[in-house]
Amino acid sequence: MSGVFTPELLDRCISCGFCLPACPTYGLTGVEASSPRGRINLMRALETGVLPEDDPTVLEESSFCLGCRACEPVCPAGVRYGALLEEWRDHMWRRRRRPWRLKALLWAVDRPSRVRALGLPRRHAHATRRARGGPHLMLGCFERALYPEVSRSASRLAPELSVPSVQGCCGALHAHNGELERGNALARELGEALPGSIVTTAGGCAAHLAGVLGRERVRELSQWLADRGDAEPPGVSRSPRQRIGLQDSCHLRNGLGVYVEPRELLARVGDYVELPSAAVCCGAAGTYSILRPDDSARVLNRHLDEIADADLDVLAVLNPGCYRQLEQGVRRRRLRTRVMHLAEVLVGTTGAAPGP
Amino acid sequence: MTATSAEIDRLLDRLEQVVGQPNVRADAGALVTYATDATPLQRGRPDLVVLPANTEEVAAVLTLANDARVPVIPRGSGTNLSGGAVPLHGGIVLVLTRMNRLLEISESDLVAVCEPGVRTIELGEAAAAKGLLYPPDPGSQSTATIGGNVAECAGGLRALKYGVTRDYVLGVQAVLATGEVIHSGGRLVKDVAGYDLRRLLCGSEGTLAVMTELTLRLLPAPESSGTGMAYFSALGDAARAVSRVLASGVLPVTLEFLDRVCISAVEDFARIGLDTGAGALLIFGQDGDPHAVERDLGRIAQACEAEGATEVRIAGSPAEAATVLEARRAVLPSLSRLEPLTILEDATVPRSRIAEMVEHIQVLADRYGLKIGTFGHAGDGNLHPTAVLDPADEDAVRRAHRVFGEIFAKAIELEGSITGEHGVGIVKLPHLERQLGAAHVALLRRIKAAFDPNGILNPGKLGS
Repeated sequence: MSGVFTPELLDRCISCGFCLPACPTYGLTGVEASSPRGRINLMRALETGVLPEDDPTVLEESSFCLGCRACEPVCPAGVRYGALLEEWRDHMWRRRRRPWRLKALLWAVDRPSRVRALGLPRRHAHATRRARGGPHLMLGCFERALYPEVSRSASRLAPELSVPSVQGCCGALHAHNGELERGNALARELGEALPGSIVTTAGGCAAHLAGVLGRERVRELSQWLADRGDAEPPGVSRSPRQRIGLQDSCHLRNGLGVYVEPRELLARVGDYVELPSAAVCCGAAGTYSILRPDDSARVLNRHLDEIADADLDVLAVLNPGCYRQLEQGVRRRRLRTRVMHLAEVLVGTTGAAPGP
Repeated sequence: MTATSAEIDRLLDRLEQVVGQPNVRADAGALVTYATDATPLQRGRPDLVVLPANTEEVAAVLTLANDARVPVIPRGSGTNLSGGAVPLHGGIVLVLTRMNRLLEISESDLVAVCEPGVRTIELGEAAAAKGLLYPPDPGSQSTATIGGNVAECAGGLRALKYGVTRDYVLGVQAVLATGEVIHSGGRLVKDVAGYDLRRLLCGSEGTLAVMTELTLRLLPAPESSGTGMAYFSALGDAARAVSRVLASGVLPVTLEFLDRVCISAVEDFARIGLDTGAGALLIFGQDGDPHAVERDLGRIAQACEAEGATEVRIAGSPAEAATVLEARRAVLPSLSRLEPLTILEDATVPRSRIAEMVEHIQVLADRYGLKIGTFGHAGDGNLHPTAVLDPADEDAVRRAHRVFGEIFAKAIELEGSITGEHGVGIVKLPHLERQLGAAHVALLRRIKAAFDPNGILNPGKLGS
């Protein structure tokens, strides 16, 4: 089955195994096939025909992988695992093999009009006149429907950003779920709708857009604020100082190398607490929490343990998927911690955390 | 020795009864992922993968395999670089990573007791938390397991001063191929009851027994440590600086070198501001009393300058030192950024002959038209010449094998070894007799037969 993968990407791995300790799913099973190195061996076997494309282990592992890319920063050989996974899923989840839940999700965000409809009932950031050449605030697709407060907060923090009303999905969901071409096309369409610099409140979107449009055009909000030199974000109540933790956005950290900026911003407004697994995937992983809820919950558990141990007032997130995952997890465990997007924390709109 | 599929099916059922159904894998996908370790170009084909949870399960698995005459290949995290964990003749890959309990760190006996699946870095960190030091620190320490380290007698960056894994193995519990459990040594520094089997098992590469519990010696952690770097315009200068350092009465904890090819590759990954225009980089370190550390780093710096170092700098903070050492550990995989195929060896020579050896490797690289990056543990003479190739270029692969044949010959000529720390495995087995002689190799075979009468443990490797 040759031609599934770009040979230069697949050749890169020398099987040194440095990725194993970084991989959350290898941590769950301890089995080589659930590790980045093992999965690359599966991809190679698929590519060379050693394994058929309906091999159950190949199918299972292509879906079991979180796609968090934690293996990339620790890979001295420079394997672009995320790109390989996109090619893998593109092949594995073509047509009938794609889970039905996924089809529904991708359909909902496939056109700007549908994305706009998602946000209509919600009060996300007000659309403004489109400034030519940006910088523009990206509203996201599911974020504008699930967490409209995020873009409103971002807009207050960075009023210089224009908010064009017609903007679709960035295509990350498509790209990570077996529709690489469509995902890239959506990113280019969004690039045309928002010419010039694009600022996003979602780490996953930032990484996908940067991959298609180029890094120089895309900024995640914490980068934007840090670049702007925000020493004193407006509207922050300074006392009492809250205990604030962070959940990194995987693709923001592992794909774009952004993780210092949000920590610095949070440390200015509260007592920042580094959770031991802050950099590890929370299990939301795009559509993963919907497609594989049990595995997603297993991945989430250690995070909830740590949040409880640290007795946080606030856990800051940088991505809508993580927002939903952690909010639900915290609620299920009845923890007192409030999950908020970085933008909301900085604006301080919601004030101190409520009591238990 | 190849089992029929009917035999494997029978074995599968009985193994599932021993370790539980989820801990036996017979699916083609899982088998593919256990067909290799970190060694390039070496691939086997296992029939089954078994992940036992304790010594009793290991003993039961070996008894079944021995009765069925099916090979068993013990494996940790599969970071081996000589093909030691490659199932050359099929059989059962016995993965010991589920046995990962760190049972004890004893401050009064200065020992650690652990199962083989504990990762080296976990042991090191647990010891450090109690003010103790487990010195062996192979490049793969964040992934590799203690069991694998002992089976291969792993070295590392601190071997010059502290020795290698062998020097820290006090006691071993192991299961013989026939299923009996033996103990050798224990928590004692002095113990001469019987042959020193724990030392024999150390470096036995999974061919004699399966180790299921290890007692390791710890040291009080040094009070402080320091690291420095010296750049040279030529590799030969760096090698001579090493000899000068060692002759100056200083025994550094670390003395590592990288040639120009390696400096560029690792800088491309780590981006820590290495001078990629230099011909060679020497990384040196010392630990102990803060005054002694400062004095020794000064002496090493002087020795480097006397051999023409173009720049010498001492790390300003532990974080800076850690960054440099981490980068050094990443040299090998970083080299694959140049070409996808990296064939490396670990020929080792007496430290006084390093300059001669590295210059000879450069001559060979030119003669065979190959790109060879050389790095290694200069202080202990353990070199890692690494050929960087396009795997599609079959002629280059053939030339690389010929070059390594010549490098081995030169190492033996200089009273060195064909392998310092990576093991004989598959790759160096054909060269072993050249170093050891026929009588010695025959003795290895008789020892192997005494431990493993049916030859089920890692066949095709040492003692086969």
